[in-house]
Amino acid sequence: MGVLESRTQIIVREVKMNQPGILVFACKWCGLIGADAAGKKRVSLPARFRVISVECAALVETDAILRALAGGIDGVAVLGCHIGGCRYTNANHASIKRFELLKDLLDTTGIGGKRLLLSFGTAHEYHQFEEIIKNFFDELAVLPPLDPWLSPFGVVS
Amino acid sequence: MANIVVFLCRCFGEIDNTIDFDLLRKELSKDTSVSSLSIVDSLCLETDIEKAAFKINESKADRVLIAACSILSRGNLPVNGLIKEGMERHKIGLVDIREGCAWIHNNDSDGAVKKAKDLLNMGISALQHKEKSEDMSVTVHPDALIIGAGPAGLAAAASLAKTGFKVNILERANAPGGMLRLISQLYPTGEDAANKLNPYIDEVENNPLITLYPQSKIVSIEGYVGNFTVQFASQGKDNSIQSGIIIIATGAKIFFPTGLYRYGEIRNVITQMEIERQFLKGSFDVKKTVFIQCAGARNEERPYCSTICCPASLKNAMRLAEEDPGSEVFILHRGIMTPGNVLEKYYRDALSRGIQFIRFEEERPPRIMGDDHVESVEVYDAVNGITRKIETDLVVLSTPLVPNDDNARLAQMLGIEVDRYGFLSEIYPMHPLETKMDGVLICGSARWPVASDQAILQGKAAAMKAVSYLRQSEIAASTLSRVPGPKSGHARVVPDFCTGCGNCVAACPFDACHLEKTKGRYISKVDMMRCKACGNCVSVCPNGSMQIPEHNYRMVGEMIKWAF
Repeated sequence: MGVLESRTQIIVREVKMNQPGILVFACKWCGLIGADAAGKKRVSLPARFRVISVECAALVETDAILRALAGGIDGVAVLGCHIGGCRYTNANHASIKRFELLKDLLDTTGIGGKRLLLSFGTAHEYHQFEEIIKNFFDELAVLPPLDPWLSPFGVVS
Repeated sequence: MANIVVFLCRCFGEIDNTIDFDLLRKELSKDTSVSSLSIVDSLCLETDIEKAAFKINESKADRVLIAACSILSRGNLPVNGLIKEGMERHKIGLVDIREGCAWIHNNDSDGAVKKAKDLLNMGISALQHKEKSEDMSVTVHPDALIIGAGPAGLAAAASLAKTGFKVNILERANAPGGMLRLISQLYPTGEDAANKLNPYIDEVENNPLITLYPQSKIVSIEGYVGNFTVQFASQGKDNSIQSGIIIIATGAKIFFPTGLYRYGEIRNVITQMEIERQFLKGSFDVKKTVFIQCAGARNEERPYCSTICCPASLKNAMRLAEEDPGSEVFILHRGIMTPGNVLEKYYRDALSRGIQFIRFEEERPPRIMGDDHVESVEVYDAVNGITRKIETDLVVLSTPLVPNDDNARLAQMLGIEVDRYGFLSEIYPMHPLETKMDGVLICGSARWPVASDQAILQGKAAAMKAVSYLRQSEIAASTLSRVPGPKSGHARVVPDFCTGCGNCVAACPFDACHLEKTKGRYISKVDMMRCKACGNCVSVCPNGSMQIPEHNYRMVGEMIKWAF
């Protein structure tokens, strides 16, 4: 077994012990309704995600996402309404453009655009919300943990 | 340091089955900002809300955190109850530990307790930094303004005048009536259009509450709901009126299909509007008539169905067949559109009267034969697969209604939107007749081609929506939300930090931000009557000088810090 493979296995083992943490920004009109419906249906979900409800996906500042990643949260999900169905005319459409740019930024800085999950119009129902959260946990499980103390330059904020 | 009272709701064991409240109590007792913590059975019951309110008053707490179910299930009950008891909304925090924690993690008790602890910490830190938006209110001008005196506008004016409001109508033409004046009979009843129109015109002329300004052209519209100022020119004179709301009933435009089916090139190829004019003049004798549907509609340029042309064709075809029983009438169509309970029967009536329907395909349209006048129409019958040649005297093209040319200009003046075809568009389908701007209502064919009965219905509906604004003497900006309950807040600018870059002006979907020169430099200014607190301006602001106080960056930062 090569050195790289064994190190990868160690990391994977560690990650499995510490489940990744996810911060969910859920739009009040779509994502939050899905999250709420999942609760009402008593769907069993991994515990390490926290939901912050926002009025609209447009209210999620890109700074807030960067701050969350810098603080050691492994993934950030933004759940909004579908394009054309925003309660605020085209606010979510504008926000998608910003988040896509942010994804590019995360890719170029090496944090990885995969850590930002964008989902517009797909979290209305409990099973959709469940699927999104579970899939995101699976995706993040194979990535190394974003521990702020591991950074040689200290905490970025 | 804030003095926060925390209430943990057991929900009769639903929550504390999974989450150990003793552990939570131990964790929260370390927090110095929490003055007291009490565990209650169910906060959604009125008795418990009263007890909670008593406790809050007793301990002189300035903020309350409720950890109970989600706001979408029953969480709004304790919040609204405390508001009724005199608390302010921004001082109440609600943390969802039932749907968001206990019920979805019931097989992972440790994780659930940790999550509940984090959620409570997030809630406490959010409460400490939550602020309250400013509010403003305007005095409502009790007049209504209606643009367009077609059936929709006239119906709206009559309804508003009946409820006692003063109405001003601006009309582009010399006389009221709109497109209904050009039509002889109405489908499906066959009654004269004049019969329907005249009562409304009488109402406009005789009711002292209604003022009609014919031959008018709008110069500018300023203001917001409750207080619009409209500059216009009527019969050559400049004029200005104020109004509380604006109803747009400008209707649509008739389409002349020049070049289509040799229209304008040879005689006896006319449109539906021209045959209506013929009927108004008197009957005329034609032995054989061919109607061609979807002339200029449902194609690449205009992919929409105009909805009125199929019933109009049926009406005119039946009238021709009725006047001369020996005549032959053909309708060449691409699918007859007769929705509803009345119009489908109308179509069946036409079938039983002997009107012949031939379906053609978009790729193989009918061809008009003849040198200077129509001799025959050649059509490929898509059902039978044969080409038929129909001898005819008259070809009637059913053309769609198209949007008015100045829709875009009107929309820009009012701050509303036009759809991809050019019709004025309303907001999200759950709010019919309402536009992006509060107090601007649209009805009739300005929003979509409709027949006169629908236009009248929409006009009356718009009038009733207008009354809901006009009956208030004052409108507060915070009440202008389109959902039950008040708005979540308004964006606020910190004038010292604003650099006047104009990002928020470009990003705002409601045109609520504008730059204003103060102290020699431009800073952004938020129009609270238009702001809906979507937060687009907050996200594009480069230095964070634009914030929504109920959801400010400090609060989000603290919440993120406490998230894990």
